Amino acid sequence: MKIKLMMVAVSLISFSGTVAAFDLGKFLEDRVKEELNKDKTTQPVPAPTTSPTPAPAQSAAAAPPPAKQKIDTRQLGFALFGDYTLEEENRIGSQISGNLLGAVPLVRDDALQRYVNLVGNWVALQSGRQDVTWRFGVLDTEDINAFAAPGGYVFVTKGLYRLLNNEADLAGVLGHEIAHVTQKHHLKVLKQSSLIGALGQAASSKVQGSDPVVQNLIGNGAEIMARGLDKNAEYEADRVGLVYAARAGYTPWGLPGALQAMASLPAKDGRTGLLFKTHPHPADRLAALGEAVDGRLDDVRGKELADRFYRIR
Amino acid sequence: MRNPLIPAAALVLCVTAASAFAAPGTVLRDEKLYSQPSSTSAVAGSAAKGASVNILTKQGGWLRVTAGKTTGWIRLLSVRAGEGGLGGAGLGDVVGAATTKSDPTRVVAVAGLRGFNDRRLNDESLKQAKFNAEEMARLDALKVTPGQAKSYASQSGLVAANVAALPKPKPEQSSSPWENN
Repeated sequence: MKIKLMMVAVSLISFSGTVAAFDLGKFLEDRVKEELNKDKTTQPVPAPTTSPTPAPAQSAAAAPPPAKQKIDTRQLGFALFGDYTLEEENRIGSQISGNLLGAVPLVRDDALQRYVNLVGNWVALQSGRQDVTWRFGVLDTEDINAFAAPGGYVFVTKGLYRLLNNEADLAGVLGHEIAHVTQKHHLKVLKQSSLIGALGQAASSKVQGSDPVVQNLIGNGAEIMARGLDKNAEYEADRVGLVYAARAGYTPWGLPGALQAMASLPAKDGRTGLLFKTHPHPADRLAALGEAVDGRLDDVRGKELADRFYRIR
Repeated sequence: MRNPLIPAAALVLCVTAASAFAAPGTVLRDEKLYSQPSSTSAVAGSAAKGASVNILTKQGGWLRVTAGKTTGWIRLLSVRAGEGGLGGAGLGDVVGAATTKSDPTRVVAVAGLRGFNDRRLNDESLKQAKFNAEEMARLDALKVTPGQAKSYASQSGLVAANVAALPKPKPEQSSSPWENN
């Protein structure tokens, strides 16, 4: 908490250095007032998919309501003081996921996709987060990676899926991604970056009212996947996700097994480029998990379910 | 009594299925080697952080390894598989490239997957990606309800278990957020 506040403070300070005319004190005061009146000013944001027009590429981000200019300034409010609403979270997740699927589509194997959804939903049920609709997808690429987006979107690549040996491995990998959603890791990153972005807008007299909220916040949503999270968020997702899988009745050793499989890949394997850029090395993740787990799970039993694991072609 | 062939066959299957584990590894923390895959079994020896081991097989949260002249069971999370030593961020390119034996068959296999229409997930493809509403609709159509998931879980006897959350690392182990960017 302290660290976060400090980061906000430093962001503000460093930013104000570049915008000399910007009155920080006045700005904060206005923001507090606005935050206190938030309930009165909050307006529902229309769901992105209700547009009746046949979808051009960016349809989910299209058709901002006229009141959007106000929301641009309200962004400062939740960036500094509050949280994203569930609806904002869903819109952000949809934008990121739609862009990710623009880079790589789903594997054309409905039985595989249904299987991953059945396993994923069961693991997600143990997370205690039931206010989102969980959606799981296997991406059609041999690259080895997995992704989560706010609002309950989880993806694994075909390349990663091939490294798995049983359902417990899958549950562990999905548990890690589910943990990113429950711990709101991406929203925390967006909160920090949108603070700076929104400050930029406040400082300039020109407000980009025609841009929809989500686009203002995150630009091309998939880019956050290329940047990745900080390593402590990844270690936390390992700890939390492993426990989700164990609570679902699987052996806790699925995620460690998948990490071992990644660790034993040749260093120059081209399929792990983005994964290793955005995550700590699997050896470091195993070591960190080992510190946290130690002997704590010695008595935990669970199933591997190798027999019903869906084998990919 | 039990057919002695069954565990033997299971072991063979296990070794075959997890062929990645008939492989070199590195010990990640000072550890004991046990005579059985259980921390209540007799201690057969120890292995220091950084020591090389040969991984023989895997069973649950345990690996059977040979470390020097000792063979025993070590915790799965205390060893990394692979040839990158202790590993670590940034070491992959330098140490890994220098120490990883090249495996021509592997290179061919990976290259073979790279057809002209192969889709990559990297900085560039993510940057240029355009929202795909069709795939989003497909994703939505494939989702299942919590009820369906519960039913599928119970088909294989999966039962929700009480497992305590793992502790966060101690402050001195977690680095400053400033170092992460």
